[in-house]
Amino acid sequence: MGDESVPFLLDQGTTKTYQIPIGHLDYKFIEKCTDVKHLEKILRVLRSGEEGCYPDLTLFCEKRIEHLDPRSRALRRDKPAATASDFTAEEWETINGELMSWVTEMNEDDKKPQFLRTDTLHERQDNLPPIRCSSSCLPANQNKKLQNKERNKKNIPRDYSEWDKFDVEKECSKIDEGCEESNSKARFFSRPSLPIIEKKIDTTGMTKKEKIFIATREKEKGNEAFASGDYMEAVIYYTRSISVIPTAAAYNNKAQAEIKLQDWDSALQDCEKVLDMEPVNVKALMRRATVHNQLQNYQTAVEDLNKVLCVEPENAIAKKYLLEIEKKLKGLKPVSETQGKGKRILIQDIEDSDGDEKRGENTEEHERSGRDKKIVVPVRGEADAGEAAMGNAQRKFHSKGGGSKAEDGETQKQKEPTESRLKKGTAEKKSQKHLPDREGEVNGYLHSDQKSESPEAEKVSTSHGAGSQSAGGGRSTSLPPTAAKLKSEGNELFKSGQFGEAVLKYSEAIEYVIGLGEQSPDDLSILYSNRAACYLKEGNCADCIQDCNRALELQPFSLKPLLRRAMANESMERYRQAYIDYKTVLQIDSSIQAANDSANRITKTLIDRDGPSWREKLPPIPVVPVAAQLHRWDGGNFTSENKPRSATDINREEQLQMNREKAEEKFKTLKNEGNDFVKKGKYEEAVNKYSECMKLNNEECTIYTNRALCYLKLYKYEEAKQDCDHVLQIEDSNIKAFYRRALAYKGLQNYQASVDDFNKVLLIDPNVLEAKKELEEVTQLLNLDSSAVAGSQQKQRKKITIQEVAECDEQEERQFATSEDVVTDHVTSEEAVQKSVPLKTSKKLHISEPSNAYDFGQIINAVKSNKDKAACADLLTITDPKKLPVLLSNKLEGEMFLIFIQSLECYIVGKDPGLVYQHLFYLSKVERFKVVLALLSKNEKKQVQQLFDLLSENQNNQYSLEDLESLKKVYEL
Amino acid sequence: MSAAGLERPQLVSHVQQALSYTLFDCKWVPRSARLLCLGSAARGTGLLQLYELRGGRLALLREIEKAKPIKCGTFGATSLQQRYLATGDFGGNLNIWNLEVPEIPVYSVKGHKEIINSIDGVGGLGIGEGAPEIVTGSRDGTVKVWDPRQKDIPVANMEPVQGESKRDCWTVTFGNAYNQEERVVCAGYDNGDIKLFDLKTMSLRWETNIKNGVCSLEFDRKDVNMNKLVATSLEGKFHVFDMRTQHPTKGFASVSEKAQKSTIWQVRHLPQNRDIFMTSGGAGSLHLWKYEYPAQRSKKDSEGAEMGVAGSVSLLQNVTLSTQPISSLDWSPDKKGLCVCGAFDQTVRVLIVTKLNKV
Repeated sequence: MGDESVPFLLDQGTTKTYQIPIGHLDYKFIEKCTDVKHLEKILRVLRSGEEGCYPDLTLFCEKRIEHLDPRSRALRRDKPAATASDFTAEEWETINGELMSWVTEMNEDDKKPQFLRTDTLHERQDNLPPIRCSSSCLPANQNKKLQNKERNKKNIPRDYSEWDKFDVEKECSKIDEGCEESNSKARFFSRPSLPIIEKKIDTTGMTKKEKIFIATREKEKGNEAFASGDYMEAVIYYTRSISVIPTAAAYNNKAQAEIKLQDWDSALQDCEKVLDMEPVNVKALMRRATVHNQLQNYQTAVEDLNKVLCVEPENAIAKKYLLEIEKKLKGLKPVSETQGKGKRILIQDIEDSDGDEKRGENTEEHERSGRDKKIVVPVRGEADAGEAAMGNAQRKFHSKGGGSKAEDGETQKQKEPTESRLKKGTAEKKSQKHLPDREGEVNGYLHSDQKSESPEAEKVSTSHGAGSQSAGGGRSTSLPPTAAKLKSEGNELFKSGQFGEAVLKYSEAIEYVIGLGEQSPDDLSILYSNRAACYLKEGNCADCIQDCNRALELQPFSLKPLLRRAMANESMERYRQAYIDYKTVLQIDSSIQAANDSANRITKTLIDRDGPSWREKLPPIPVVPVAAQLHRWDGGNFTSENKPRSATDINREEQLQMNREKAEEKFKTLKNEGNDFVKKGKYEEAVNKYSECMKLNNEECTIYTNRALCYLKLYKYEEAKQDCDHVLQIEDSNIKAFYRRALAYKGLQNYQASVDDFNKVLLIDPNVLEAKKELEEVTQLLNLDSSAVAGSQQKQRKKITIQEVAECDEQEERQFATSEDVVTDHVTSEEAVQKSVPLKTSKKLHISEPSNAYDFGQIINAVKSNKDKAACADLLTITDPKKLPVLLSNKLEGEMFLIFIQSLECYIVGKDPGLVYQHLFYLSKVERFKVVLALLSKNEKKQVQQLFDLLSENQNNQYSLEDLESLKKVYEL
Repeated sequence: MSAAGLERPQLVSHVQQALSYTLFDCKWVPRSARLLCLGSAARGTGLLQLYELRGGRLALLREIEKAKPIKCGTFGATSLQQRYLATGDFGGNLNIWNLEVPEIPVYSVKGHKEIINSIDGVGGLGIGEGAPEIVTGSRDGTVKVWDPRQKDIPVANMEPVQGESKRDCWTVTFGNAYNQEERVVCAGYDNGDIKLFDLKTMSLRWETNIKNGVCSLEFDRKDVNMNKLVATSLEGKFHVFDMRTQHPTKGFASVSEKAQKSTIWQVRHLPQNRDIFMTSGGAGSLHLWKYEYPAQRSKKDSEGAEMGVAGSVSLLQNVTLSTQPISSLDWSPDKKGLCVCGAFDQTVRVLIVTKLNKV
């Protein structure tokens, strides 16, 4: 139509209103035109109809403008208010339901008598500020002279001195109000212009509802301020909200605002508060990870991110972030290596996560998995050495003080701490020779260390014999089995983040050890130190400090308790003590990155707080004896060397570790390569790597779960399932294995098994959102499946039940179903379909019609695959014929068409020929109808003919015979 | 189109109620599902109707007739427990009513010589720090601030100096009440003047002219440090001022948008999100807008003075409900997305705005 008219009108002049050449009112011109203004004019001309009415061209022009400028004003059109038809049934119900429930709630609330009414009113009145000073009059015009009318004597005057302070003229020209005063908040953020906003809200006499109302509003104000980029204001409003009712959401938002302000410490505290309230709050975990990252506590950041990924395995941001931090971690490693001495100390070795995505089964392996052997050895050595060597030294103090006789023999030989340590040093020198499998490089630098310490070593060379004995003494320090068990349980709990329970375990272990009365201060110190780590994690800084103090009493200058105490002090804002502790740590080992960073950070804080003379206010930093500075290295060698010999009493894993070291190393590299491939999406290669890994070690579950993941990605469900099965044989509660097996089952279309597995996942951790989602989906598939099966088996019955669903209450239906055994399965599955498939959602008693083309298509596919005419008939009954063209869009094809015809013929024509006619009528309006019709076979045409015959037989007042005849023509009959 | 269209907020007409009188203002009663309609009966008296939302319809709870037609009302200066309504009428009277005992006003003053066009309250309902105060703007050209605890005399009076021509004040609003001292009143006049009075310093802080009569003014929030001010005008434009940064000479930065050809009668910000607001137009239309902040809200000019940078406004949704102007609009403070509007076709409509969370 438009095409025809345009050439005719070409070169006919210009339009009346905008003088646009008529030729511009053309598809081709509009398509190429990029001048929105011009197009808008064309659109106006087209809409006005002054050059004729071209609805298609108008629409085309609108689309073009929308493409060029979606916000163009020309596109705004008057629209009526939305009605039910603009929403899907569910949306409409939610909208209405929400409002109704709110109305009911409000109306009920309102009827409740408001007790304490008078009291609260009085209180309020008392709190009110005084009445404004007077009826002052302001000239509302340019003249800015202040005119005060007669003052009202009755009024309580405002503070006049305050009043006089303000110079009106000056005030007017001030850009930012509030400049005249600096409040504490402003000073804190070093921005003087911040207006004074009370940080607390007086809530006296408020009811709970009111408090909620106010807390919510303050939070909203915070959100708005945040949205506009005013983070300081946001923090204030969140604080206000918290002052009324502390909520996790407010803390969480506050943390985010503080992150924006780079106020890391406060952000950390707030995150921790959120996590106290909601331990698996993903946002808070993410935010804490960010903070830790900024504070360069990469390990803790990685941990938090891993927790996030446990809850939401698909969280893309967390994954990306994790990668970044891992890179940083890796970046740190070479630096520390070149420093010769080593490595970053792991402050929280117990719960240290491996920096790769998978968690190992135990701490030790854990720690290793992220590192090369070269690094691992000193790290481990140092950790244990600290304990063992300190233990020896300590035991001596102890026995002197307490007069215990138990280890007299040994203590006598260990004249002083230095000595004992050096003994070990020499002992290990010897043992080194017994370890031919050591790598030259490692040996090299261990030797050089020893050389540097040689003067002292020589001093004690006389007591060579004692060296081995002291090693023996070291053996005796191992915990009694019960305590050791408690300790390892505690470690496990700590690792899994259950700090509270870990505390209990450690406490038990401590009690047990104390109860035994044995002098094993080193072990006790470790226990205290571990418990301190738990407290620190829980945010219980006071207890953490206490435990650290005990640990340090038992073992002065022990690294980990010192570091923990430092961190606890820091988070309690006792910066001076924290500073002292960090400095002490650095005296012992200057290569500890975290301590370095923290000390620098605290220095800044202290300077801010105390000014340039901040150092004077510090308590004295204890001088660490040279011995303590050295022992770490000695001890490190000692224990690492000693391990093979004291195999029986040191942790089993450690021994294993030593024996497998080489294989392990290769294993790690392979695994890492595999993980890298996964990250890059090269699943085939990853599978190969993992398979190689398995040749080396077929007990590591993570490899299997990882490979299963790859198989899933490659759609090799059977293999994936096998891998998961294997893991579950080894470890019967591996959540990842369950989850992946569930996915594999889903892929294999074994929905029942899939559902079972998802349920197990949720049993282990009910917070796995992914699993929940998948479970819903699979349950739906399962129901569809079973209904289809049932349907094909019992077609006749099906029809009856459907009618009942449509007509009677669901409750009754269920009773009916249970009473009749034969139909039970069938009916329930049918019900399930109704519930799960949005198409058929029952709106109380009635089945609502399909809402959109997608839902309709889904059902049609299900129907088609089972040739389920009954279900199709059901669908057609509840579908408004007029909507058919929309619902089917361009998806109509022969098979579907035929099912429609058949179900109309079999089920509906007898009951409601009018509906059949309507359906046929609108079916003919569907896109592709002609094509489908043209492709029908003779037989199929016959069926259509039959249906029309039936229609003419059952003719009723909803359509006339002529209508039918004309429709027949459309159907080419 | 439908997929993209459905993602946007939709305005759903929930209830329509035809009235037998001219409706000037409608207001939600705080912490309830009730609303008030204020207007003028055919015989020239004032009417005040209290409706309750009940299962998809409005049930009339109470009807109160008063001598003078009531032009405007507010709950802004009352406590959440009391919920007293302050009204301004055609005779220039300011009354405060206890709706449970509506026979005699709790507070009454003949504040103005002529009709009170606009009223606003602050310090009540937990909104705004400081004393509860009511501001009235009248045809007599004055803007007066009242404290319900003080009888007969306004606590502040803003009027043209002797000899200056009196302009009809069409709209008044409170703002900046973020602590006990700070508070501003903003007034709009028939000649397009907008004046910002600082109640703390008792001075005229800023003024501008938007060329056409100012129909409605509102701060995005009364109880925060002045953030944004929307002013609507007679010829269909509205202006959004960024009130954070005031330049010594240029004042506040603003962005203007033309919503429709006819007058914009009202602007109301969503109580739960200050960056979303609705305007009601002369042609019976409602427009839902969102303000987007610029990357930097202020910059330095050539002399180093701070000046504000205006953001942009985008239309979220628009509907046309009537052929007559929609003269009043109010969001429910308790239920996000619920609003009521009254039009000159003598109909009050309760609307639901969906998907405000996703904006």
